[in-house]
Amino acid sequence: MRALKSRWKLIPLAGAVIVAATAVAATATARNSASPIRIAVLSDCQGAFGSFDNQDMAGVVTAMVQYAGAKAKNPNKPRDGWVGGQINGHPLKLVGIGCSNDRADTAIKETKRLMEQLKADIMIGPLSGDESIAVANYAKQHPTKTFVDGAAGAQDTTLKVRAKNFFRFNGDGAQWNAGLGDLAYNKLGWKTAAVVADDYSFAWTSAAGFVAEFCAVGGKVTKRVFPPLNTTDYSSYAQQMPTNVDGTFVAVGGAGLIPFLKAYEQAHGPIDGKKFIGNLFWGTPGQFEQLSSRVAGAYVGGAGTAGDLATPAAQAYNKMVGKVFKQIPPFGAAAPQASSTFTFGYYVNTWGLLAGLKAVKGDISGGQKKLQAAIGKVKLRTPYGPVHLDKNRQAVIPVYYQQLYLKNGKLAVKTVGYIPGVDQSFGGTFTSKTPAPGRNFPACVKRNLPWIGHTRVPKVTG
Amino acid sequence: MTRVTPDRVVGVAALVLAVLAPLYLSSYWVGTLLTQMLFLGIVAASLIFLSAYGGMVSLGQVAIYGIAGFVVGNVTTNGNTKGLNLGWSPWWGVVLGLAIAVAAALLFGALASRSVGIYFLMITLTYSVIANLTFGQVTDVSGFGGISGIPAPKHIGPVDAHQNRLYYVALGVALAVYLLLRYISRTPFGLTLQGLRDDPVRMASLGYNVLLHRTIAFAFAGFVAGVGGVLFVWWNGHIDPASIDLSATIDVLVIAVVGGLYRIEGAWVGALFFVIINNYSQQISFIGPRFHTLIGAIFLVIVLVSPGGLVGLWDRAIALSPFRRRGPTDRNPIEAGQVEPSV
Repeated sequence: MRALKSRWKLIPLAGAVIVAATAVAATATARNSASPIRIAVLSDCQGAFGSFDNQDMAGVVTAMVQYAGAKAKNPNKPRDGWVGGQINGHPLKLVGIGCSNDRADTAIKETKRLMEQLKADIMIGPLSGDESIAVANYAKQHPTKTFVDGAAGAQDTTLKVRAKNFFRFNGDGAQWNAGLGDLAYNKLGWKTAAVVADDYSFAWTSAAGFVAEFCAVGGKVTKRVFPPLNTTDYSSYAQQMPTNVDGTFVAVGGAGLIPFLKAYEQAHGPIDGKKFIGNLFWGTPGQFEQLSSRVAGAYVGGAGTAGDLATPAAQAYNKMVGKVFKQIPPFGAAAPQASSTFTFGYYVNTWGLLAGLKAVKGDISGGQKKLQAAIGKVKLRTPYGPVHLDKNRQAVIPVYYQQLYLKNGKLAVKTVGYIPGVDQSFGGTFTSKTPAPGRNFPACVKRNLPWIGHTRVPKVTG
Repeated sequence: MTRVTPDRVVGVAALVLAVLAPLYLSSYWVGTLLTQMLFLGIVAASLIFLSAYGGMVSLGQVAIYGIAGFVVGNVTTNGNTKGLNLGWSPWWGVVLGLAIAVAAALLFGALASRSVGIYFLMITLTYSVIANLTFGQVTDVSGFGGISGIPAPKHIGPVDAHQNRLYYVALGVALAVYLLLRYISRTPFGLTLQGLRDDPVRMASLGYNVLLHRTIAFAFAGFVAGVGGVLFVWWNGHIDPASIDLSATIDVLVIAVVGGLYRIEGAWVGALFFVIINNYSQQISFIGPRFHTLIGAIFLVIVLVSPGGLVGLWDRAIALSPFRRRGPTDRNPIEAGQVEPSV
């Protein structure tokens, strides 16, 4: 009986031990299982840019590996995403990868699916211009979620829409073409030029950069032709291109570039590369290899990238992409595709996001306000130079332009010009009050641009 | 006394379930899937009305729905998007959107009403293509990128913050459209339309103006499609030429056929089926972006197995059950699936 009583006395003690043990276990569990951060990616797996889908995902996953300790799920297929990865104990969970097709309508449907059905906290993407304008407008309606761009370069996305929770660490199409107008007029001696560009926001922006600068230094754009995006037969547009000009700027992109050049040759005979300047698509790894060797000598606007830059940071980035992925389908080996607009665009935007998440230690509570404030202050020393955001959350970037040349009988790209710190206003040409770039804007007028005559020549490999 | 039939029981039950949906379904289901089902159903109902009562299978309904949507987008947005950016009140947008949609439908109907069968189908398909290319090419009113940031009226929106409001508005409008179409079908105008469907030559010899009736029917269906277009832009906040491209046109036809081209109810049945398949099939890895292949296969099966669509299956099940309808039916022969519509 006495023994029984003493056992009863032990019960409160045992209870205390159990409560204490439970509390310790709960604390440990809480420490080990901080709430996950749900991330979605919106890429284009169809349409004019569908073939760059894996480049998009390669950029995202490489940044996740490099800055969040994630691991690529499949080194030969970036679209499979990543596993692992965390910020301050908060797992970075990939909830879904959207499949858009360069159309705003599809981008919105996919964004709704990712954000509302799959309940993502943050979205990385989209890829192309009009999609990004629509997504930025969607972001405005969802201030408690955060959006970072993928590789889209329409000007309106940040200059006009100005959603406080949409961030873009890549340049817009006009920024990317800084230096080309100066080059055409002062180095190539063009006095007149024609422009052909896809009839949508990114290409309008891209053409606007060339037109603004070429006219700023005294050139005249005599004709602007705008075939619809996803045109398959460019013959009628090629026929409209004048031949009595000193040169032609081509901002036809994605799947349309090769058909356009073929149609141009059928209409006007073989292309003389020296009389052409292309926008970024002419130098995009995976794309330029398919161009005819006749375009050798053509200059190419960049996308804030320079794969052959002889700096340790640029070379380390190429190696990093090659280390994370062996292949980026359908174009083959991964490392040469590191400097693609799409790979780098998604990479730098994901990096900017992760830097913001690190600054707030992965805390996305409070409607993500702290995170959004932190992302706005992020400064990145990217492989190609410093990048920071302006008051519209748009990147101020270094810009490079390239030239196509023949190397062992094959087309290759070398970087030949560099302009640091190009902002979206393009030297005051564009403001939130000016019309959006379009078929007729900007007008062809002379003006001062800060970098005219100051283009530098970067040191490159090879 | 109102007769209790399986149709009515199911109809009332569906309505009750729809009204209570926000209580037992997630906000995504209510705000995205069901709202989408309601406005797509309205557009499909306009097609079914023309087909079932007028014998006209139109591929132009999406064009008219788009015209209403683009007009609303142009007149109600303010500054930061493509288009006219007139910044008017959303309610004026509705009035102007519907007025222009009906005017366009009147014009389209007047041109198409002289044709029948495959020619009518082709002419109305042309309307869709014209609308798609016009809004794509004329950058003053849209351009390829379309119009973003379209606001819903203050009492409804912002839509994303108050998803149930737009859902209930869409539900009320869908119910009103359904009742209106049922009512119209029983008016002298509706009965004349059915007569024109079955034998236009005889109706003409009796003194009816066939072309005028068909034109007015097309304009009325255009009004209904326009209502769907207004709800769409409020829901989506964005419209671009891809919203009314050939694929969207075919989608509405698929909804109507899968639901059942012979009964107005089929529009919402087909829309619900379409929206769910569209949404969830993409999560199945081997389907993913091949959604249209899947819906095409389903379309084929439905056409082969049940030309009356899913509602036709229901009719068959009722016909075989102890609840089968007895005595003369109040529905016309084509609704009962006894007569093929002339297209």
